[in-house]
Amino acid sequence: MFDKVEAFYRPANVREALRLLQSGKGQARVVAGGTDVVVEGDDSVRFLIDITHAGLSYIRQRRAAWVIGATTTMAELEESELIHALAGGLLSRVARWCGSALVRNLATLGGNMANGSPAADMATPLLVLDAAVVMLDARGRRKLPLAEYLAGARTKRYSKSLLVEVVVPEPPDGKGCRWSFQKLGRTAVDISLVNVAAGLQLDFRGRVKWARIALGAVAPTPMRAAGAEQRMTGRVLDQALLAEIGAEVAREVSPISDARASAEYRREICSVLTRRALEECSAHAECSL
Amino acid sequence: MKTMELHLTVNGKSLNWSISPGELLLDVLRRQGYFGVKRGCEKGECGACAILLDGKPINSCLMFAAQAEGRQILTIEGVADGGKLDPLQEAFLDHGAVQCGFCTGGMVLSAKALLDRRSDPSEEEVREALAGHLCRCTGYRKPVDAVLAAASRRKNRARRMKVAGEVAR
Repeated sequence: MFDKVEAFYRPANVREALRLLQSGKGQARVVAGGTDVVVEGDDSVRFLIDITHAGLSYIRQRRAAWVIGATTTMAELEESELIHALAGGLLSRVARWCGSALVRNLATLGGNMANGSPAADMATPLLVLDAAVVMLDARGRRKLPLAEYLAGARTKRYSKSLLVEVVVPEPPDGKGCRWSFQKLGRTAVDISLVNVAAGLQLDFRGRVKWARIALGAVAPTPMRAAGAEQRMTGRVLDQALLAEIGAEVAREVSPISDARASAEYRREICSVLTRRALEECSAHAECSL
Repeated sequence: MKTMELHLTVNGKSLNWSISPGELLLDVLRRQGYFGVKRGCEKGECGACAILLDGKPINSCLMFAAQAEGRQILTIEGVADGGKLDPLQEAFLDHGAVQCGFCTGGMVLSAKALLDRRSDPSEEEVREALAGHLCRCTGYRKPVDAVLAAASRRKNRARRMKVAGEVAR
């Protein structure tokens, strides 16, 4: 494995990393934690570019947004006070689900996105938080919505760009904005069979003012359930609406059957986990169902 | 074959190795004789290859050796102090938490990292710290008991040392 690798680079900044990537003629591979790149074991790689020294390990608050450098590890997200203060600590809680402690000390947020897995655990909470990614290429930096990036993450579209950071805008404020993440896996450290993140804001009468539902491992990329979100808005979240939303979500997803679960089972679990997520959100919002 | 230099510290010893740029840390450590670092699944599932990197447990099968440049590594070979076992290792023996031993080195290292960070962990925290280590012999009850026992032993020793210090004063 990796027998053809001729050089291992440790660029000290992103400009240098980008230059190396572009001069690699498609045979250079960016690596950070290694937890995906190594396991994938692509034999054609001739140059490895380790970006963990390129100054991308940071968590900052910039104006009203949270900015997370691409090489920030899951372990760092778990422990960051700034991340604890964002959306009730949602991202810290989800980071704890990303594999064993051994893996979480290596795996990075940027890697979790760039790998483009439909099951990437950090993707659904970030979609719920309307996150964007900042990409750097020869033309400069540009920001694009995470959903748009994920749709192309497994294509060649970004092969000459570097994912620099993830930007999370300030979530809707006020009382009653609550968050949940639900994951079903074979074991506590396994990849998701299905994962669901939800964000919910209720008005003073308990009606849904703002809703986000995102699902992972049930479509080619992590996805928002836009139909279900719309259907909820302006309505009181009661048992009947929960059942309706569960059914709507199951219609919106397009899961596949694989070694871990059948498509039918995944679809059923989408309904169950979405209901649990919304129930958790509304329980914390102290409105009775 | 292209080679490169790697400078790192393993078990307190400053070293200088020649490696291939695509080699994994697990392979290099074993080539250099650190056979306590076990080759298991080679994809970050089993934890047999665990080491401490700057005090934090990681899977050495998931890391390129070149990424260890300038870093501090602790393998299971470096846990005992000369001939004297670490209290964690003694606790594993006392509790019969070792059978074939393949997973043990990694478990001891993850437990050590946990106790260095939290002197009084809950059972849940111990279980979470060991969650990346698969055992096919004894199961997990005994290792969990061993880590909890080692934690309270460490704490008692620290208390005795504190009392002794106060008496001396």
